Amino acid sequence: MTRTVEQPGPRQPLRTETSAAVATYVFAVCRGGDPAAVAGLPGQAPGTPVRLLRFGSLEAVVQDVPAAEFDAENLRERLADRAELERCARAHHSVIAAMAGSAPTLPLPLATLYLGDERARVALRADERRFLAVLKRITGRVEWGVKVYARPEAKQEPDRSAEAAGAPGSGAPGSGAAGSGARSGRAYLERVRGARQDRERRQQAGLAAAEAVDRALRGIAVASRRLRTHETTLTGERGVQLLNAAYLVAEGDEHDVAAAVREVRRSPACRSVEVEVTGPWVPYSFVDGSFVDGGEPDARG
Amino acid sequence: MTERTAERTIAHAPSTPSGPANLADILERVLDKGIVIAGDIKIDLLDIELLTIRLRLFVSSVETAKKAGINWWETDPALSTRAHRDAVDEENQRLRERIAELEAAEGEERPSRRDAGWDDERRSHSWHHVKEADGR
Repeated sequence: MTRTVEQPGPRQPLRTETSAAVATYVFAVCRGGDPAAVAGLPGQAPGTPVRLLRFGSLEAVVQDVPAAEFDAENLRERLADRAELERCARAHHSVIAAMAGSAPTLPLPLATLYLGDERARVALRADERRFLAVLKRITGRVEWGVKVYARPEAKQEPDRSAEAAGAPGSGAPGSGAAGSGARSGRAYLERVRGARQDRERRQQAGLAAAEAVDRALRGIAVASRRLRTHETTLTGERGVQLLNAAYLVAEGDEHDVAAAVREVRRSPACRSVEVEVTGPWVPYSFVDGSFVDGGEPDARG
Repeated sequence: MTERTAERTIAHAPSTPSGPANLADILERVLDKGIVIAGDIKIDLLDIELLTIRLRLFVSSVETAKKAGINWWETDPALSTRAHRDAVDEENQRLRERIAELEAAEGEERPSRRDAGWDDERRSHSWHHVKEADGR
């Protein structure tokens, strides 16, 4: 116990003063990017410029960041803080989005770091061919996000009305306790069964609607990908999320996206759902290895 | 806020009712997607993913909550390292006082250990919810 109180004991290794040391944070890889597109952005370390680092025939969008703040331990701690995570994620995304406005851009996940430009260059160069292949696939294309929510049903209270409907037959209140007990038991079971059938019907309708939306968008997309649906607890009053998908669409085809969504929203199949569209995004969901080229969807329901 | 302006250059969202990109949409892309290359500094994205899932529980309503002046996530140890640090500091303080007390009373009576670890229990409890959400 007394050990917790100050004790000279074994010497703690002195933290070397690393305030001067910088690490290289890599946001993205691009081809023919315009440095001006990102020059003024704060990035992950306001005060140091976001710049381009050439490697082979490509460039990486990078920034010098204080090594001490971006070591594994500090980074983990900072990203576990909600506000900081949001700031970092938005800063990362902003740089990528800005660069994508000037050149085909491959986004990297949050927090890819090297101990200096040379280390970054070596690692990036080793992957150059992969980058080129993926760049070819996404050049001139953008990602659209589409989510489908089951529209929360109007709070009908079937229980009350069923009870009321059952009441007239049972005569005056308080008459024949046993009889009304049996009846209300049966009524209860019927109500439960009815509610379950309703729920199943709604689920079926919702899934069919999600499929219809997905089909409509796949019709105009070069490729599509299902993302994990968000938790019901998240979607809250918006209702259950039935579809969370990303579509790779040719740049300039946003009118087709809008038209497809408008049409599918109007269709009877989609009466019970809400369709949300976001984008255009840099094609985050179409740059990793697990994505199969060829334009066909990789997953269906 | 300059970030938002920049974001609009491409991720403008003509058909998004909520205006600038929603945090959940950004997080699921910058954490889960993108082209992965090995970096010199490794962080465990799993930690962040757990947090993200937790975050997803309220991210859609965070604006509403802010307007209503609710900021529970800022004091929830599982969500905020600052709050976590506060909790640890508080616990330290309590333990120091207890030690001082015990040392002062040394020899007079055996200390009771009834209170030991209550804070840990509470913390692991809140993480349990995160795991549940993850399992879903």
